[in-house]
Amino acid sequence: MLTHENLELTRTQPDGNGGVQFLYRVKNYGVAACSRPKEEIAQINWEVDVIKFKDANTLNFDVCHTTELAANTLTFHNDKSLNEFLKKAFVYFDELNVLEGMMTK
Amino acid sequence: MSDPVAQAPQQKERVRKGDLQKVVTPEHMFFEAPRETQFITGSEAAREAIRRANVDIAISYPITPQSETMQQAGYLYDEGYIKDYYRGEEEIGVMAAIAGASRSGVRSLTATSGPGLIRGLEAISSWPGARVPAVLLDMCRVINTPLAIQPDNIEISFLLNTGLIVLHGENQQDFFDYPLIAFVVSEQVDVTLPVVVSVDGFFVTHARGHVSIPSADIKLPPRDGWKCAVPAMDNENPPARISRDAPIQKSNFISYHMHASWQQEVFAAVQRSARYLRKYLKGLVEIVNPDAEEMIVASGSAVSQSREAIRQSAELGRKVGLIKIKSLRPFPAQEIREACKNVKRILAPEFNQAGWLHKELCSTLYGYSNAVIQPGPRVFGGMTMPTEMILEWLEECRK
Repeated sequence: MLTHENLELTRTQPDGNGGVQFLYRVKNYGVAACSRPKEEIAQINWEVDVIKFKDANTLNFDVCHTTELAANTLTFHNDKSLNEFLKKAFVYFDELNVLEGMMTK
Repeated sequence: MSDPVAQAPQQKERVRKGDLQKVVTPEHMFFEAPRETQFITGSEAAREAIRRANVDIAISYPITPQSETMQQAGYLYDEGYIKDYYRGEEEIGVMAAIAGASRSGVRSLTATSGPGLIRGLEAISSWPGARVPAVLLDMCRVINTPLAIQPDNIEISFLLNTGLIVLHGENQQDFFDYPLIAFVVSEQVDVTLPVVVSVDGFFVTHARGHVSIPSADIKLPPRDGWKCAVPAMDNENPPARISRDAPIQKSNFISYHMHASWQQEVFAAVQRSARYLRKYLKGLVEIVNPDAEEMIVASGSAVSQSREAIRQSAELGRKVGLIKIKSLRPFPAQEIREACKNVKRILAPEFNQAGWLHKELCSTLYGYSNAVIQPGPRVFGGMTMPTEMILEWLEECRK
């Protein structure tokens, strides 16, 4: 099971291709983890993107491939490895949010 | 010489795991037993339902996307949760065999998909009139040309007027809950009808979702073949009566009056199932935002897409309602009329070309609502239904 820490929303994959999407949020940044249908159970994995939210009030976001966490869509083959990534990502996002706040000031 | 029989190693008696399960009431299984949440595919969810359903016999013929579920059922047979299990010759044979198994008084399960369902439809459509309690898991896929294995639920339109009870599950959780409920409702004395549990293939069967399930050490009570609207056949003592009532089975002897009254009773039994389904499904419908002027009415996977569409609408400051239809037969006409009496616009998103749900809504609401019922959005042949499509249709119908 994926962690529920910072889990903002679990929803059907909005693009209509089936599967479920978990949205994690730490202020402006977050992670979109998607589990899609596959022909074999063993093929089911997590497609993961770092995302940047467009505003504070909605869950609209852009995929963000410019952080040190990920330059492209990542694949995780089990919940354990994704949970480890999420743990690191949450710490990273906290630091990133503080840095961006300082730059704004 | 020593006795070879005495020297042979003692064969360990096989203990069927199903025999170790505790029988509980349906109420305990559905409402009281502690549950834990797992993240599993729809096929795995169906397997867990079958494990707890006290199934006597499962018969099927493989077809995508059903194959995986019945492969999982095969594991249950191996473990001893299902008493008998085999692969039929093809779907007509399977569906005929299910009728025979059920008539002999045992709990019977089958599953198929799209073209397999259509192939078996001759036998399936004879089940209700024969008053055969059984459960058919139907993982919908494309049936029309050009053929595909993607989700499309046009096959449900072929089931609606046969006297079957038809449930349409939205997600993996429904594919755990509905089959168990289906067995219980199917075998009620005043129902005694087959139940089809449909889900949209791949989106439900081959994707993971959260499923809350009770412990595997409990199961439903066994079927009592004598507690039935028509008696079970005694297949052990020949000659078994192939027909319960010869004039009913032999069309050239049948009077039209007899046929009419027989069918009338079948469809009355479908209506009688509603009170059990309302209890076990916690209502034939689920309504979100009941006071909204715009309502999306959907069943199956279209419900999940609609849930996200109304969440996005709320972010934009528009309140949109949702009616999830759980049971297509009996159709929740009373609930829908009540929920839509003040609604101005209705959207009926569907994964099929025929628009069977739109037609149902039009005939149900005619004379009961002034709402404009939009015939869509509709996708088929494996086409996707992104949430933007539902939002665009909503925007369009406001103009």
